[in-house]
Amino acid sequence: MAQRVSELLTERLGPAVRDVRQEPADTLRVVLDKSAIRGAASALADGLGARFLISAGSDRRPVSGDFAIEHIFSLDRDSLFVILECSVAPADPRIDSITPAVPGANWAERESRDAIGVSPEGHPDPRRLMLADDWPEGVFPLRRDVPYDYQPPQADARPPRVDPPSGSSVFVMGPFFPVLEEPAHWRLFVEGETIIGCDYRGFYNHRGIEKLGDSKLTYNEIPYLAERICGICGFIHSTCYCQAVEKAAGIEVPPRAAYIRTLMLELERIHSHLLWLGIAGHIIGFDTVLMQAWRIREPVMWMAEEISGNRKTYGMNTVGGIRRDFPNALAPKLLEILGKVEKESVAVCNAIAGDSTLHARTRKVGVLSQECAKRICVVGPPARASAVAIDARIDHPYAAYDALGVRIALQQDGDTWARLLARLDELLESIRLVRETLRAMPAGPIVAELPDEIPPGRAGVSVVEAPRGEAVHYVVTGGDNRPYRWRVRAPTYPNLQAVPEMVRSQTIADVPITLGSLDPCFSCTERVETLDVRTSRLRVYTHDELLRLSRREVTK
Amino acid sequence: MSGDILVTVGLALLNVAVALLLAPLYEGIMRKLRAALHSRIGPPITQPFLDLAKLLGKQDLRAVPGKLYAAAPALTLGSVLTLALLVPMGTRPPLGGAGDIIVLLYVAAISAVLLMLTAFAASGPYGAVGGSREMMILLSVEPVLAVTLVVGALKSGRLATLGILDWQVENGPTMSMAIAGIAFFLALQAQAGKLPFDVAEADQEIMGGPLIEQSGPRLALFRWALWSKQLVFAILLVELFLPWPRFGVFPADLVLTLLKALVVLVLVAVVDVVNPRLRIDQTMGYFTRVAFSSLAALAFAVIGM
Repeated sequence: MAQRVSELLTERLGPAVRDVRQEPADTLRVVLDKSAIRGAASALADGLGARFLISAGSDRRPVSGDFAIEHIFSLDRDSLFVILECSVAPADPRIDSITPAVPGANWAERESRDAIGVSPEGHPDPRRLMLADDWPEGVFPLRRDVPYDYQPPQADARPPRVDPPSGSSVFVMGPFFPVLEEPAHWRLFVEGETIIGCDYRGFYNHRGIEKLGDSKLTYNEIPYLAERICGICGFIHSTCYCQAVEKAAGIEVPPRAAYIRTLMLELERIHSHLLWLGIAGHIIGFDTVLMQAWRIREPVMWMAEEISGNRKTYGMNTVGGIRRDFPNALAPKLLEILGKVEKESVAVCNAIAGDSTLHARTRKVGVLSQECAKRICVVGPPARASAVAIDARIDHPYAAYDALGVRIALQQDGDTWARLLARLDELLESIRLVRETLRAMPAGPIVAELPDEIPPGRAGVSVVEAPRGEAVHYVVTGGDNRPYRWRVRAPTYPNLQAVPEMVRSQTIADVPITLGSLDPCFSCTERVETLDVRTSRLRVYTHDELLRLSRREVTK
Repeated sequence: MSGDILVTVGLALLNVAVALLLAPLYEGIMRKLRAALHSRIGPPITQPFLDLAKLLGKQDLRAVPGKLYAAAPALTLGSVLTLALLVPMGTRPPLGGAGDIIVLLYVAAISAVLLMLTAFAASGPYGAVGGSREMMILLSVEPVLAVTLVVGALKSGRLATLGILDWQVENGPTMSMAIAGIAFFLALQAQAGKLPFDVAEADQEIMGGPLIEQSGPRLALFRWALWSKQLVFAILLVELFLPWPRFGVFPADLVLTLLKALVVLVLVAVVDVVNPRLRIDQTMGYFTRVAFSSLAALAFAVIGM
């Protein structure tokens, strides 16, 4: 397949392809002239069906005097990552946007602009994404000359507001709203209770984690920070980071460590899906499901505590393996608890499967079409519930999944009910996987011998299937015992971009459950977007336009 | 004659006491049951009293100036207490002479209308959505209540609640009254603001809807009124549709009525626990169907079943 990719790109782009290398084995790096980037992205996405993962912008001025923009794609059927790399001269920090060809790259390109200062030319929506309203123009936090503890001067910048379409009124959800566990500001434009557009502002949780990773922490300190990216799927992020470094440095993880990682990853999926089931029930007022699901979940948390010392945030991962062995004596107890969890989960599933009121609230609610899911590169259960057959455990096997074999939980309808069924299937499959893991877990060392120094300039892409979808970590090694660049993409990042399409023409009552059915982590979010359903046109307002509009409104 | 007035005043005090003091206790029992079905321990059954005491001791904050807005919570509770006087509790209703089921229907709607008005007055978006939902529920539930009561009036040939009660005791269960009773129970579920029909408050969507602007003593009075209303409706249900057995001895009949009302409210709580919330359009569709079924009861009544 790597051969085909390089042939196709060389054929379409000719001499613009400067270099093609395959290192490590699952990653094909194509170095291009920046003028050819959109053509290359379009060839990959349309020609080969590659799925866009994320972009990484890096400031390479101290090393090679330029900025780098890397677009990372996945060829899921061939277990191959393709990185399109372009050099961007600091004198002209611009590059063609690939969003017109690959809509899923929308946020990623804007984030590169915010963080590195390379603006995507021809981007349909070139606004600030992750920086705060009062962050000064022209300061790009991921550039090497901006210190990690830089404090911008305080400024009076109000969040921009959008006028609702005439005849509609504004219904606000957020920045703090009871059923959204994290800050996210939705302004719904409603006629009666029907939504005709929405306006969104997020990124309140931005914590500068990537910056700390490449300026302050060392390789083996980062797993603890990575684990704190998410309060639910922490182990997923630390595993994903460690795998990326291991790939870049060519470290082979001992089999026992791979099995223990699998075990903890699946335990995390079990408790996360039960947590989600409870929250979903709560959102539609079904508190019985909330209470029962969380009661069933609790022993899993206790088990995690027995294994790692903590209910959450286990601190078990390290580059090269695992810091803490799984005590084999715990296996019988874990199996017993899983048996109980399985039995009770099936009982809950059976109880809600025929509930007509539940069907009324979830069927045909928040429908995500397969076409839209593919276009926006949605991942995880929302993708699988819309009949997009992707699962990182199958497509890019890591840890011990190759040996275990994972059954994919596909659904066809793409509505909230389908997402619920997909998660319940995955819950039961995870229980099976934990059992298999315990049965097959080999003895042996739990951490690999590390090389004295990880050579700089190597790169590794790692994906892990989190409960919410696929997490991506990309590491470029550097000197000083730390990465030169560490790029993280949480699964909610692509999934949230599908929300405007999912809430279109729904009622207020459906919005919380539609959002909830994505199992969102709002840390990775957007700024202001308005959608007029009647014209299906995405209208984007710049800060100045908004200011002008709001001033006009005030002086009226 | 003066003795008669004394008895009436005594009955009135008793009905008000039942509506005011028993309602929080029953609510406490419903909460306990809900907790048990959730696998929780739950609050003590006196918790609603503690809630009221705490809220009543707080500062009175108002979102809107004006006397009507200030008085709305007290008026709401007052309207529910008036309703209690129109409902038989073990014997004749103390205000029975002043009004029949038609007056009863009007008085029953007052609390919902006042709640709606306060919601709109504060002009917040959550309150506005909650208020309009409250109105839609009122519009779809009120016809059901009316039809079920008319079935009773048609059967007994009388418009007074006591008349329907007496006829029921005399003639025993009938098909039409049974159907009407079930429809009344569903309407009670909505009147009490319980799942699956708690769309007007819908904490997870509109954060309490009409009640969002209310706090302290105002919230206490609204809550108290809602609890009293669910109890009075439960009593009305058992008195009109399930009055058997009737001993003709007032204290025994009263105790039996209150126990039956508790059973009804326990059923309400169970339905609440095993259902998620419907949307407002689904709620209205549901009650449209219930209204048509209660028309069937009316038809049965006409042909004498």
